[in-house]
Amino acid sequence: MSSPRPAYVLGGNRIPFARAGGPYAHASNLDMLTAALDGLVARFGLQGEVLGQVSAGAVLKHSRDFNLARQAVLGSPLSPRTPATDVQEACATGVETVVALANKIALGQLESGVAGGADSASDAPIVVGDRLRRALLDANRARTAPRRLAALARIRPKDLSPVAPRTDEPSTGLSMGEHQAITTARWGISRQAQDELALASHRNLAAAWDAGFFDDLVTSYQGLTRDGNLRPDTSLDKLAALPPVFGKRLDAPPTMTAGNSTPLTDGASTVLLGSAEWAAAHDLTPLAAVIDAEVAAVDFVHGEEGLLMAPVYAVPRLLARHGLTLDDFARIEIHEAFAATVLCTLEAWQSDELGRTRLELPGAFGTVPRDRLNVHGSSLAAGHPFAATGGRIVATLAKELHRLKASRASDEPVRGLVSVCAAGGLGIAAILEAA
Amino acid sequence: MGDTYLDLMSSGAGAAIATRLGLPRPAPLRRYRPGVALLDGSALVLGGGPDADAIAQLLSGPPGGTGGVPDGWGLDVHRHAVPDERYAAVLVVLTDVTHPDQLAAPVLEAAATLKRLRPGGRVVTVSRPAHETDAPAVAAARQGVDGLLRSLAKELRGGATGNGVVVTDGVPVTAPSAVATLRFLLSTRSAFVDGQLVDVDLDAGELATDWDHPLAGRVAVVTGAARGIGAVVAEVLARDGARVVCVDVPAAGQGLAAVANRVRGTALQLDVTAPDAGDRILEHATSRHGGLHVMVHNAGITRDKLLANMTPDRWGSVMAVNLAAQLAINETLLTSGEFVDAPRIVATASTSGIAGNRGQTNYAASKAGIIGAVRATAPLLVPFGGTANAVAPGFIETDMTARMPALTRQVARRLSSLQQGGQPVDVAEAVAFLASPAAGGIVGRTLRVCGQSLVGR
Amino acid sequence: MSEDVVLATVPALGRLYARSLAATVRRSASRGAGAAPGALPDVCYAVHDVPVDTSRLAAYQALMGLRAADRLPAGFVHTVAFPLHVALMVRDDFPLAPAGLVHVANRVTQHRPLFRGDRLDVRVRAVGLRPHRSGTQLDLVAEVRRAGASDLAWEGVSTYLARGVRLAGTSGPEPVAGDARAAHPVVGERAPHDERPAAPADDRPTWRPPVPTASWRLGADTGRRYAEVSGDRNPVHLSRLTARLFGFRRPIAHGMYTAGRALADVGPAAGHTFVWTAEFTKPLLLPATVAVNVTAQDDGYAYTVWRPGAGHPYLTGEVRPLTADR
Repeated sequence: MSSPRPAYVLGGNRIPFARAGGPYAHASNLDMLTAALDGLVARFGLQGEVLGQVSAGAVLKHSRDFNLARQAVLGSPLSPRTPATDVQEACATGVETVVALANKIALGQLESGVAGGADSASDAPIVVGDRLRRALLDANRARTAPRRLAALARIRPKDLSPVAPRTDEPSTGLSMGEHQAITTARWGISRQAQDELALASHRNLAAAWDAGFFDDLVTSYQGLTRDGNLRPDTSLDKLAALPPVFGKRLDAPPTMTAGNSTPLTDGASTVLLGSAEWAAAHDLTPLAAVIDAEVAAVDFVHGEEGLLMAPVYAVPRLLARHGLTLDDFARIEIHEAFAATVLCTLEAWQSDELGRTRLELPGAFGTVPRDRLNVHGSSLAAGHPFAATGGRIVATLAKELHRLKASRASDEPVRGLVSVCAAGGLGIAAILEAA
Repeated sequence: MGDTYLDLMSSGAGAAIATRLGLPRPAPLRRYRPGVALLDGSALVLGGGPDADAIAQLLSGPPGGTGGVPDGWGLDVHRHAVPDERYAAVLVVLTDVTHPDQLAAPVLEAAATLKRLRPGGRVVTVSRPAHETDAPAVAAARQGVDGLLRSLAKELRGGATGNGVVVTDGVPVTAPSAVATLRFLLSTRSAFVDGQLVDVDLDAGELATDWDHPLAGRVAVVTGAARGIGAVVAEVLARDGARVVCVDVPAAGQGLAAVANRVRGTALQLDVTAPDAGDRILEHATSRHGGLHVMVHNAGITRDKLLANMTPDRWGSVMAVNLAAQLAINETLLTSGEFVDAPRIVATASTSGIAGNRGQTNYAASKAGIIGAVRATAPLLVPFGGTANAVAPGFIETDMTARMPALTRQVARRLSSLQQGGQPVDVAEAVAFLASPAAGGIVGRTLRVCGQSLVGR
Repeated sequence: MSEDVVLATVPALGRLYARSLAATVRRSASRGAGAAPGALPDVCYAVHDVPVDTSRLAAYQALMGLRAADRLPAGFVHTVAFPLHVALMVRDDFPLAPAGLVHVANRVTQHRPLFRGDRLDVRVRAVGLRPHRSGTQLDLVAEVRRAGASDLAWEGVSTYLARGVRLAGTSGPEPVAGDARAAHPVVGERAPHDERPAAPADDRPTWRPPVPTASWRLGADTGRRYAEVSGDRNPVHLSRLTARLFGFRRPIAHGMYTAGRALADVGPAAGHTFVWTAEFTKPLLLPATVAVNVTAQDDGYAYTVWRPGAGHPYLTGEVRPLTADR
């Protein structure tokens, strides 16, 4: 094993994200991931190439997709000799795949890789109930006809109704929105602040589309040429008119609406990673180096911290390791699971008390300059196909950092920060630096 | 695109009925595949003089090249018609005619072979252009070839075509572009090129060492590559050995990616009307593929409307996409200093731009504009061994023509000597030919790929 | 010295329920309602060397959302001991009518972990007959040891209330902390005349719901599903029809089911040895979606279960890890 070397983001490709039940209603995770991979291969001319490893995942996953990434490779123009691995870490899946492959590249275990993820809320797996499933499995195992019949006789009509997947937290039974509503109330985030963040997300994303920023990051799919959730013409008035949907049973007035929460979304994304040598050999220009990453988790089960607050802890630890502060970052991407998630994160970082008691800092961690935050829009506007969001963010940020560095005369490092919260009280953060 | 009429008329019963009724009997055209023999029978080279000898030697010489002829094609060549022989190709070399009287002998000798021409046979004239500075008899004889060839082509059946090579005075008939044109017209690559006279202007260009991969080592950009003719152009260029950058608007990305992957090229999503389109194309081609040699302007749109009802938007968008965009891109390429290695520009014009078409004033203006643009652009590239040319497709079976009303479509198909619509690959073969290093002597010309459509020249 | 009744096997609950109803009828006939009970029988019911029914264990773990681990959930051990509660209550010399008893509180101390391969010695006795402002309370104390071992592994104290029943020699209700309108009939009890939340008594502060940390969706079949894994087929939990017999509009959730869910929500943080308490303050009608709060305290966790909008909790309790072996 050689000593660590930089691992670079060389580019990315995703399909436009679609609202669930929309244009991709009949596309599976495999269909979408393969489409995203097809576009990546086409953009970078990787037909027939044996890549080091493809790593991807899905959150809402069919059992038949146990080898989702590998099947996508086999359906793509990549060499069938390209290995592939499935990863699952809720909404952090995408960033985790980037980090894992970047680490392998840094260690010299790989020269190249594709990270990614896909999620369909439309084509979610439906399963039979536990009682029916157990009866069928028992019947299958039974060696004699009478025993088989006895097993099947246990089935009751109500056992036959299918079970749709829930996105509720398994530990608590609360939806992610309800969890966030609790945190929102705890930090006293106003409805207006949330709506303003949502508006900025739509405006930034629309501007990026109009400017052609996504021309080399997105490939159209099934007739959809832009993110289906994007509402370029939305306004504070329109957002203010929406009824609250989460937190209606709390003491505090509910503030979270369909407008300042991400909708259920279908989509897929990929990120091409490689060593400097591999990039040069393939005439590719590194966009940004993957410098480091940190995962964190919070105890939401015992009410100690909000479900989606783990990045509040991951980022300070990550930055401390490099002696950096928030001011050292030209761009900061905080995944907008909900507008309130971002705002709670910012508030927490500005809190003296939290800084002292939870982060073991002398005071508040710091302030995120809003003009560096999610400058090309984020999940509120683009939508959030769980495992695909990380790839969207990393590819977008890498391109933005590269563009920024090229536009600056100085050799000062141009850094970007990624922060993604995830179900299960998980969070992941990563540092990119323009190449 | 299925042509059921063609299928029916190709069948035994259909053919019999067609003969009785005098209906058109289109023949299925044979098309090029790498590795297939240039001709499926003997060639007859008629006409006297050193040019005819040189051409006969080129055709019959051994592959690999001997003496003064760089390469031989290993064909069975006759210099005089053998009775009852079924020729695959008849070449009539008329470069040394100085008086119309000299046309009779070679033309009538060729005439005797035509009834036994093989299906998909080729008649090719080789001649010199008529100039105002020529003696009147010389100009008359040379110009006479034009009428002769165009009429002859209309008489051929069974998928046979008649075309001519017109080699400028001072350029040897063995100049690379003359040889390459001759080969193109003899081969099945020119299946839907009929009744055309191809001008060779310069003794320039470089012959391929491998006729199946004339674009080996070349980097080509094709706009409008996501579908239709552009997609097939990308495939044919890749088949001929080019590394292909497929360009189309982001909205067509899925199709574009599929084409890029099929041709093992790269996809570049951009709107050709964007101000930085030329820069981005050049940057992509040079950084990713080490250079840019061939620029195929294929992107085009139609917004048909009678001129009386024309809107600024319909006029403007067609002119912007079809013409202004490529002018701007060409300018970027020409001023970049990077487009200097035997560069080729091949633009897609249209027979509408030659003959006009009702309801297509905007489209025809843009396509005629292309014809003018390549004529003026080509000389700028000549110092670098480059050129610019256009292809002008006639009725081609594409998604666009599939949307025509059924009857109109059937009629349009028959309005050509080949009595059928062409395939996108026919256009693509012509593009690939003009993109090849050997075509450097063809300067600012427009090659029609129309099956000798009855409209226009 | 108390008498030990050693049973060969854990008795079947179905037959005990039938006997309990008969016993209730007998006692109602022999004394009027509110008649003073006598003393508790000085008897201990015991079963030795009870194997763990592993398929029932797996079903219990699945129902509670627990992992299929070898360690016996504390709530599962309760289901092993519970038939002895009933066996004791249906004795002719038991002073209170079994069908009138309400399970108001439960306290389990897990002294040592028990495992699926263990064989269990179970002993149950009734103690602490005492006046309460709403009637009379007593505790059924269950002790579980690994077979042949002397040290206590699991100890359960289940507090029952006989509503409106006065002890001999007392004249009125004694002030007792907690809500007297408690709610979990052991075998079945006529409901209080309504299940609407009562206005808080003046002497108690208005209850403010905590911030939820979890939510349970309890289907109408929750009682039946718990009955299947616990064997406790108390009709008040099973169906609308059977619940009506006891004056409830709908079936009510089993207290030990909800308390078990709360213990599961605390999760591995409880450790292997702990004290787990539950106070059942109101009947929880099914189906219901309830809010749950689990909060860390200095010495463990407190939990609360309530229905959003209701002015009172249904269930409160604590899980305190025993630090000795943590």
